[in-house]
Amino acid sequence: MSVAPAAVTGKPQALAPGGFMAGTVAVAAIARNTFREAARNKILYSLLFFAILLIFSALALGELSLNEEVRMTRDLGLFGVDVFSVLIAIFVGVNLLYKELDLKTVYTILPKPIARWQFVLGKWLGMLVTLALQIAVMGGVLALVTVAQGAPLDAAILKALWLLFVNVTVVTSVAILFSSFSSPFLSGFFSLGVFIVGRSVPDIRLVTARVGGSVGRAVDFVSYLVPNLHLFYPSGAIVGARQVSIHGQFVGAGYLASVTAYGAGYSLLVLGLAIWIFRRRDFV
Amino acid sequence: MTAVSSRDVVLRADALAKTFRLGFFRRRVEAVKDVSLEVHRGEIFGFLGPNGAGKTTTLKMLMGLIFPTAGRAEVLGLPVPSLSAKRRLGYLPESPYFYDYLTPEEFLDFIGALCALPSAERRARADQLIARVGLDHARGRPLRKFSKGMLQRIGIAQALMADPELVILDEPMTGLDPLGRKEVRDLILELRKEGKTIFFSTHILPDVEMTCDRVAIVIGGRLRSVGPLGDLLSARLLSTEVILRPPATGLAMMSIPPGARQYAAGDRAVGLELPETADVDAFLRLALGAGASVLSVSPRRESLEDLFVREAQLASAGSGAAGAAAARAAS
Repeated sequence: MSVAPAAVTGKPQALAPGGFMAGTVAVAAIARNTFREAARNKILYSLLFFAILLIFSALALGELSLNEEVRMTRDLGLFGVDVFSVLIAIFVGVNLLYKELDLKTVYTILPKPIARWQFVLGKWLGMLVTLALQIAVMGGVLALVTVAQGAPLDAAILKALWLLFVNVTVVTSVAILFSSFSSPFLSGFFSLGVFIVGRSVPDIRLVTARVGGSVGRAVDFVSYLVPNLHLFYPSGAIVGARQVSIHGQFVGAGYLASVTAYGAGYSLLVLGLAIWIFRRRDFV
Repeated sequence: MTAVSSRDVVLRADALAKTFRLGFFRRRVEAVKDVSLEVHRGEIFGFLGPNGAGKTTTLKMLMGLIFPTAGRAEVLGLPVPSLSAKRRLGYLPESPYFYDYLTPEEFLDFIGALCALPSAERRARADQLIARVGLDHARGRPLRKFSKGMLQRIGIAQALMADPELVILDEPMTGLDPLGRKEVRDLILELRKEGKTIFFSTHILPDVEMTCDRVAIVIGGRLRSVGPLGDLLSARLLSTEVILRPPATGLAMMSIPPGARQYAAGDRAVGLELPETADVDAFLRLALGAGASVLSVSPRRESLEDLFVREAQLASAGSGAAGAAAARAAS
C-alpha cells in the first residue's frame, strides 16, 4: 500500500474545530448517515410495505360498509400510519446508540473532532428525517386512496399526520433515552410501555381521580411524568369544549402549535437526559 | 537521553490511571496504573505489551473514549479530550468495524465531514487516500464485502483524512498477512518521512524492531520501560552461535566448551550455541586445526523479545498474581 505514488500533499483546510459551522457540518453528517443507514435497511421497507397494505385493505373493508368508505379508509389508514410509525420509531430508536456501541463504530467516530452531544443529536435528527419521510409516504398513499374514493383532500389529514410525526418524535426520544443505558430488548419493552401508558393518560387520570388516596395520587403523579401521547391522536376527544373528529371539525392551528411545543419540549428534555448519560459513559 | 523542548512533545500522558468496577459487587480492577510518557515530534513510538496489558485502555483514554480515574494527557499542548486536540490527531481503533453499508468513498466523505472539511476537499482527499492505501479496485464496493486487510487499510485512510500531525494506531498489524504487515510498516515509515508522529500499540515485536525509534513496554497496566530500543536492550553478549562442518573424525577432537548446546544445522553441518563465558577464539582455532570448516559465527545479544520476557518476568515477580488478574480483566 505504501508503494502507491499518490502521496497526499497539502494541508486540508478544515473549518475551525468547536465552531458553530464545524459543529453543524458534523451533526448534519451524522444525521445524513443515520438516514442513509435506515434507507438501506430492508426491515423498514417491510414495515412500510405492511402499512401501505393496511391502507389499501381499507378499500376492501370500505366496500363492506354502507356509504362509509372514506370514513373507513381514513380511520384505518391513520391507525396504520400511527402504529407502524411508532413501531419503526421504537425499533430503530432503541438500536440507534446500542448498535454503535455493539458494532464498535463509536470507537472510530467519537475520536473525531465532534462532541458526544453532537453525535446523539445527529443520530436523533437523522431518525426524525427518516420518520418524517416514512409518514409522508404512508400519508401520501392514504391521501391518494381517499381522493380516489371521491373525497376532497382537506387539511384534517395533513394536521393528523403532523400530530403523528410529533408523536413519534417523542417516542424516538424516549427510545433513545432507554437505549443510552440498557439493551435493545429492555429499551423496546420500556418504550412500548411508555407509549401505551402515554396514550392512556386521560383514562388513567380519570381513574385516579375516582380512586383517590395515596395510590391514586402516586399514579396521577406518574401520569404527569410520562408524555401525554393522547394529545397527538385527538380524533374523537373533547378539545375546547367540542368534540373533534378527523371526519368533521378537526383541531385548529392553536392546538397544533401548543401540542407541538409540548412534544418538542418533552423530546428535548428526554434527549438532554440521554445526552447527559451518554456523555458520562466509558466506551470500554 | 537528550532533552526535548516542550514544543517537540506531541503527546504527553501524565500519571494516567484507570480503575474499573466490575460485577455485582463492584470489584475494583486496576487496568492502567500511573502511566506517564512523552511522544516526540517526528518519531515512531511503539507501545508494547502482551494481550490485556492495558494498551487499548490507555489509547482509549487518550481518545476520550474512556475517562481516566486519575492523571491527564495532552496532545500538542491541548488537553485530551478536546475538539482542538482531536482535530490534530488521527486514530485507528483495534479490529476496526465501520458502517458496512457505505462504500469507501462514502465512508471517507462522512469522516471528512466529521473533521469539518469542505465538500470539495473531502472528495479530493478521499480519492487520494483510497489510492494511497491500495483500494482503487474496491471503489464503489460496500465495506461489508471487504476482507480484514482491506478494512484495516480503509481504517488507516480514515485516520489520515484530516492530515493529522499525530497518528495513533491500535494494533495496526493484527490480522494481516505478512505482505499486509509489510505494507503497513512501509506506510508508517512513509508517514514519518512526511513529518508525522506515529504512536502505535502492538504485541508483534519484529514490527517494532523494524520501525520504532522509541518504545514503551506496559505490563499488567504499569509502564515497565520507556526509551530508544538501543538504550533498553542490554549490549551484553548472551551467547555465540557457531555453525561448522565437522571433520571426518567428528567433534571429539574439538573439546567443545562446557555449557554449549549442540544441534543439527542441516547438510552435515552442526550448530553450537556457546555460552557467554566460552573462549570463542580458542574454540575456533581448535576446530580449524582439527579440520572442521567454519560456516558462520554469530554473536547473539539481547533482542526485544528477550527484553520483553525479562520485563514480564520482573513484573510477575513484583506484582504476583494480582497483576495478571488485573491484566486479564483489562482485556
